[in-house]
Amino acid sequence: MIEVRNLTRRYGQFVAVDDISFQARPGEIVGFLGPNGAGKTTTMRVLTGYIPPTSGTVRIAGVDVMEDSLEARRHTGYLPETVPLYPDMTVREMVNFVADLRGVASRRARVDEALAQVGMTERAGSLIRSLSKGMRQRVGLAQALVHSPPILILDEPTIGLDPHQVIEVRDLVRGLGAADRTVLFSTHILSEAEQVCDRVLIIAGGRIVAEGAPDALRDSLQRGGRVYLRLANAPELKQVRRVLGDVAGVAGVESESGGFVVQMVKGMDARAAVAGEAVRAGWRVLEMRPWGATLEDIFLEFTASSRTIKRRR
Amino acid sequence: MWVVFKREMRQYFTSPIAYLVAFAVLFLTGITFTSDLRARSGLAPADGSVIQGFFAFVMIFLAPLLTMRLLAEETREGTIELLLTLPVQDGAVVFGKFLGAWAYYTLLLLATLVYPILLIALGNPDIGAMIAGTIGLWLYGGSILSVGLLFSALTENQIVAGFLSMAALFLLWLADSIGILFAGISVEAAEFVRTLSLRGHLSTSFLLGIFRPEDAVFYIGLTAVMLLITIQIVGARRWRT
Repeated sequence: MIEVRNLTRRYGQFVAVDDISFQARPGEIVGFLGPNGAGKTTTMRVLTGYIPPTSGTVRIAGVDVMEDSLEARRHTGYLPETVPLYPDMTVREMVNFVADLRGVASRRARVDEALAQVGMTERAGSLIRSLSKGMRQRVGLAQALVHSPPILILDEPTIGLDPHQVIEVRDLVRGLGAADRTVLFSTHILSEAEQVCDRVLIIAGGRIVAEGAPDALRDSLQRGGRVYLRLANAPELKQVRRVLGDVAGVAGVESESGGFVVQMVKGMDARAAVAGEAVRAGWRVLEMRPWGATLEDIFLEFTASSRTIKRRR
Repeated sequence: MWVVFKREMRQYFTSPIAYLVAFAVLFLTGITFTSDLRARSGLAPADGSVIQGFFAFVMIFLAPLLTMRLLAEETREGTIELLLTLPVQDGAVVFGKFLGAWAYYTLLLLATLVYPILLIALGNPDIGAMIAGTIGLWLYGGSILSVGLLFSALTENQIVAGFLSMAALFLLWLADSIGILFAGISVEAAEFVRTLSLRGHLSTSFLLGIFRPEDAVFYIGLTAVMLLITIQIVGARRWRT
């Protein structure tokens, strides 16, 4: 259980995290989604006791991280963004080292188990310096798991990996969300958060700007979003405008890379009507998909009213 | 703390710098020992304190090579974030690293005992002075390593840490001579600076076989103060701003 209440962290004049509150319950994988510099790493560092909050409280498994930092750290496994490994140690030595510092009971069994969990048993004797980035990421995970913590905090575990490794790590993380474990997982990739997490917190400019289950967030995004439409017997833009412009919920049509981008009115989802009208007009629809529903768009969408963002632009 | 200590010890045995330092120490003391023996032959009795005084002096430059890595590298590699988010006190991390460095230094010091042993085998030197000198050098080592560790905590650049600790140690080594410069201004200031001298507490006591409590207290106290400051520097990132 992670409970964050009114957490603010400043670096001098710069407000990195601005009065955020959230909870993550046991058994939940919570995604922390935001662009670089949104305050994800800062929040995680406060949660793990690496830096103090400027104000607000953080409770990890019921323990306040400022009042009893050591006890809170005991309940937490943490994988920082720059994977903290000693290149001159072997995989097993590294995990042993952390297990020893944590005072893990029956160390041998636990280290073996953690290595098996991340699929590194066969490379246990390899020097960390000789490992690929994806493998290092797994050793970092094993290190965070070795004391079977109830709370797991992972800072961008897929950054800098190749697509194959990204999938492996995502699968791993999904598998880590055990019955009573809370996982907080940060990323700046929307689809990743969708695949891995039960719930997503979107953070921008140090504030939580949206929160919810990934599909619910996506739906709310599609409303007022844009849709890309490609038609086989390509009609003129004028024609398309005439036909689709009358559909309720359509704000406008532009031509775009061989097709058309249909802008929806904010808060309305006219996808079904657009498809229907296109077919009725005798056009064959080759392709229809959300257009540019990138993270940037989400932030623009969700933070349109946020002063923080405007000030930084 | 012992976990950190063990890691640092292992580190010394796999690091080329540590072996180079050991090589330099034994090579240089070996040369000094031989030339000193030759110079004295037939004139004066062999004296183990020449080697000990020389050992103390080269350590001003070699000890920073042993300590510069300790915290600077952790900061640069980001592994400090791991250490400081584990349920371990900052003090245990700093102390463990210090003990690792000191243990390696102790091994170097023990290796130089080969010269006194040779002297004992060959002649009839003052064994008491040799023992006192070794104890003195051991305490002295703790204090210079703690100074090095402090500078390693201040920067993430190993070279800067090493260079600054060499400079600081050299100034402290010469503090008795520097103190004289202050004599014109104030006798008390001169006296104070002189007391900070690293060599002053060694060359006029331990190395002559004299054990003065204040010298031991000076080295232990210097070590303690340096370690406390280092712990504060490491913990500073946890201060509320």
